[in-house]
Amino acid sequence: MSGAPLILVVDDDPAIRDSMERELRANGYSTVSATEGGEGVRAFETHAPELILTDLSMPRSDGFELIAAIRATARTPIIVLSVRGNDADKVRALDLGADDFVTKPFSVAELMARIRAQLRRTAPAATLLAFDELSIDLERRRVKQGGREIRLTPTEFALLALLAANAGKPMFTDTIISRVWRDAPGTTADTVRVHMSALRKKIEPDPSSPRYIVTEPWVGYRFIAEPV
Amino acid sequence: MTEVRRDGDFKISNSDFEKLHDRRVNSRLLRAAVTWLVALGGTAAVTAAGRAMNLNHVTVGFGFLIVVLAAALRGGLPAGTVASIVATLSYNFFFFQPLYTFTIHDPSNWVALAAFLVTSVTVSRLVIAARIEARRAKLRHQELETLYGLSVELFTATNRAGALGDAAGRALVLLGAREGGLVLFDGAPERQDAVWWRGDKPDEIGERIADVARRGEPLELASTAGGPRDVYLPLFAGGETIGALVARGSEASMPALVSVSRLVGLAVERERFIEENAHVEALRESETLKTSLLRAISHDLTTPLTAITIHTESLRRKAERDEELKAPVTGIAGETGRLRRRIDNLLSMARLEAGKAKPRREPTPPADLFRAVRENLPLVRVSVHVDDDCPDANVDPSLALEILVNLIENAHRASPPGVPVELLARVHPSDPAQVRIEVLDRGPGMPRDVAQGGLGLEIARGLAAANGGSIDFAPRPDGGTIARLDVPAAPLPVGELA
Repeated sequence: MSGAPLILVVDDDPAIRDSMERELRANGYSTVSATEGGEGVRAFETHAPELILTDLSMPRSDGFELIAAIRATARTPIIVLSVRGNDADKVRALDLGADDFVTKPFSVAELMARIRAQLRRTAPAATLLAFDELSIDLERRRVKQGGREIRLTPTEFALLALLAANAGKPMFTDTIISRVWRDAPGTTADTVRVHMSALRKKIEPDPSSPRYIVTEPWVGYRFIAEPV
Repeated sequence: MTEVRRDGDFKISNSDFEKLHDRRVNSRLLRAAVTWLVALGGTAAVTAAGRAMNLNHVTVGFGFLIVVLAAALRGGLPAGTVASIVATLSYNFFFFQPLYTFTIHDPSNWVALAAFLVTSVTVSRLVIAARIEARRAKLRHQELETLYGLSVELFTATNRAGALGDAAGRALVLLGAREGGLVLFDGAPERQDAVWWRGDKPDEIGERIADVARRGEPLELASTAGGPRDVYLPLFAGGETIGALVARGSEASMPALVSVSRLVGLAVERERFIEENAHVEALRESETLKTSLLRAISHDLTTPLTAITIHTESLRRKAERDEELKAPVTGIAGETGRLRRRIDNLLSMARLEAGKAKPRREPTPPADLFRAVRENLPLVRVSVHVDDDCPDANVDPSLALEILVNLIENAHRASPPGVPVELLARVHPSDPAQVRIEVLDRGPGMPRDVAQGGLGLEIARGLAAANGGSIDFAPRPDGGTIARLDVPAAPLPVGELA
């Protein structure tokens, strides 16, 4: 990526749009904005942004339509700005292909961390994933935490590799079951929970304060690319 | 005659009713006159024709038979019998030897005359039996038409009590009731409301109605209102007796009257159902309104708050190097966060009341809850510890987070500056099916700690209950308070790790 990454901001409220654009520019991004879904799709086609930040409820064409329209042609990361209490909307947006969400009112630091995680994920796939003290060598199937090698079972490694490769993206439990267990009969959310618990005990420096893997309510799990 | 009625467009006034009655009386007199004219005039005419044309006995006999038949058809058995006797006498007097006497010489003529009498009476009876059958059939037909009309009326119109009474009253009149009406009970058979009534309604009728209602069976009595009989029918709706239908002096069949009472009962039940349905519909609409109101409020309050949060963070970044600005900006950030949590509280409470906060529980590691708490309360110092063997909590994650945020804010307010609030999660000491999450402070201790909780604490209790959990408080050794949240555990399934 050369130059400042371009971010498309779609929100019907001018106060949020303007303040977000100002903060994004202060953090080194270029911005372009739209006030509703249809305009957002046109701005996406004209400017080809690297990332899209969109509100969900907007007059005329809403955020869901925008996500669906963009996902029909592109894999550009989309972060949704959702409102607390509308968990169904959040899950629906993720289902339609959104990559992440932040709940209003969010902190700027949190939003910036989420944006960095999404932009990093779109970079060419690496064989070595590194996050703080944790490094994952996908080719040699080796995991190190604080310079010390950690022994994982094949299932635990597959789980970690899947989540880390999608760092910053909430992963549906169903997606995890289909990718790690290849939809083996009898695999349930509890199966995932058991293995995830074992994995977290092995890789988390302090299991009381998880750094890498957290549960994502009503969705599944998320690998945290960088702590806020 | 009096008439009790409410509203509605159908009216049979008393004068109408009397006219109807007069017309019936007049037509009966006219009918009798014509019958006697047919019987006597017909006999005279046949006699005259027989004599003038010198017709033979057989022809004259058939002529008389036709007269008897016509009389019976018009006037029934009395007219038929009288016509038979008069015709027999005429036959004898004018046509059998010796003429102009009532005596007969030839015994074979006796036989002929007797045969004529028997034949004519028998024919009269047959004709009359057929006529009665036809009349009955016509009555049943009328009853059916009345019932059909009533059912159409009852189930196509709205059935306010007045309209219902009118429809029932009309059916009673068409079924020939001279007096009576529809009575509905107001809670008990003693409290009677005559929705529609014709004629007198002395107390004894009220008593009879109450009696019929209590026994739940129809009652037939000899009529005191003219006509064959009085019928009292209980009305049922939804398994209880709701009133009575009274038909006085009606000759309508029992099945027809019972059908009317059933139809009216069904109509009352239908009306009640429609009313209840309207109530449910209204409730549902109010729920929808509440939900959209909640959505609007949460959007309208959250949007400016988001903008304020972003602006404040921008200010904070600029105030990094400005000591004078740093404190007020941090203050704004803290207060904005508090305002946000108050709004969250309000919305949660409204959701709970609107029945929207149906908890969606799922296994949630306490460590993840603690992490979310820290993100929500960035300015509060907390230290956390989760026991190794602590099971996941089976809670609604966002409601559980809100409970903890409220408890921690409360603890933080009570704590001396710089002393962190401690969070502990472990399996419940006496019930392994529960997780105990503790929030510990070094504040002044109970009960002041708890008293400060206010609305936030009330909401926390409500949300805990909605999650199948509970909150209580205990003094902390060496000073301070322990807030305990006990919630159901979601232990890891045994044998899954393969």
